[in-house]
Amino acid sequence: MTDNGQPLILIADDDPDILALVSFRLQKAGYEIVQARNGEEAVQAALERRPDLAILDVMMPRVDGYEATRRLRQHEETKRMPVILLTARVQEDDIARGFDAGADDYVKKPFSPQELGSRVQAVLGRR
Amino acid sequence: MIDELGWVSGALALLSLLLVCTLAGRRVTLARAERRRLGAEERLRPLALALVDGGSVPLPPLTAHDSRALAVVLARYARQVNGAALAYIGDFFEGHGHVARELSRLEDRRAWRRASAAHALGGMASERAIPVLLKALADPDRDVAAAAARSLGRLRALEAVEPLVYALVDGRLPRAVSAQGLLSIGPEAVPRLRDLLAEAPAQVAAFAVDLIGLLGDATNAPELTVLLRDTSAEVRAHAARALGRLGAEEAADELRRALDDRIPFVRVNAAHALGAIGDVSAAPALARQARMDGFDPAEAAARALVRVSPQVLEAVAAEPGNWPHLDQAVDLARIQA
Repeated sequence: MTDNGQPLILIADDDPDILALVSFRLQKAGYEIVQARNGEEAVQAALERRPDLAILDVMMPRVDGYEATRRLRQHEETKRMPVILLTARVQEDDIARGFDAGADDYVKKPFSPQELGSRVQAVLGRR
Repeated sequence: MIDELGWVSGALALLSLLLVCTLAGRRVTLARAERRRLGAEERLRPLALALVDGGSVPLPPLTAHDSRALAVVLARYARQVNGAALAYIGDFFEGHGHVARELSRLEDRRAWRRASAAHALGGMASERAIPVLLKALADPDRDVAAAAARSLGRLRALEAVEPLVYALVDGRLPRAVSAQGLLSIGPEAVPRLRDLLAEAPAQVAAFAVDLIGLLGDATNAPELTVLLRDTSAEVRAHAARALGRLGAEEAADELRRALDDRIPFVRVNAAHALGAIGDVSAAPALARQARMDGFDPAEAAARALVRVSPQVLEAVAAEPGNWPHLDQAVDLARIQA
């Protein structure tokens, strides 16, 4: 949670278009945003800023979304942080792999920004 | 004679210098145009985001260059979003005359303009473009037809599933283009692909099966399992491959039976599928195939054993008189261990 009481969301994607779109939608919905361009940056930003939720793209350079989720689960500070995976891969074993890594939900691309906003709200509401 | 040679070499040197200057100038111009384009896209991104998020946003006056840059950004978003956001993008392109302009360019007598229009329509999220692009699939120019196939995929046009599968089979289009178009349509294409299984010729059905394996899920396994007994070997082989991709454990019995198929490439795919599923009870049958069958099925069986049972593989490879494929598989299993 930020100083002004808004939930802080971490968004990680190597595609600047998606990063901008998701940030825009969630900022409009009243969330504070921290951005990362790969999984490594995402883990670092999560440890520094302690966001309330992370949205991670699966296919990212250096460290992908699965591995980033796994690393987040290994740290005491972030192991309970909800993670939503954003993925273009929809085969069942990809989804299972995401849940095995510790993700709480997944959204498949192409996605509806409005639906993503609702998922974020739902996941934060479950905490 | 020497004087003439001197003149010729001087002229050639001058010509080379001119060519180098032209190329350098061209490079600078292109780099500047690219920087300008990227700058415009970055500047217009907030406007594009507002359009994608909310639809009716008053547009400031835009230069032709800026208008093109905005269209490019929106076309990129059209590939990434669905639902209301996609409808807003479609409304923008319809409302500002982009769709009408490209549809009329698709009637142009010059093929490159038709191809460019077919390409652009793929990013405009317009339902109106679908029937015209379906017609363009039969364009005499291959580039126009390929651009139409790509755009139909991007528009996720279910009506395009059948023509794209037929184009994949008859080779009218590059296979990669038709296949990419079909994959872009996504899992929504599966019901149409299932329709083709019953009605279409074997070669078409085989491709449909392959695509179900890529786009479908476990619920498609029963109908693919039935196809392991199809009269066409091509369909049987593709069904085995698709079942492996789907990880359909319930098909393991039928896949083990397919290891005895009389056609080698069906046996190859059945072995690969059993390996992908990780069916431990198939280990003895795979071991037999790895030792006794022709090279391709034997190699496939050895590879499957790497995943199913490295212990059985080691035992088979230790027997005298084996082929090198078993040793290679053992090495692979040790690397993966």
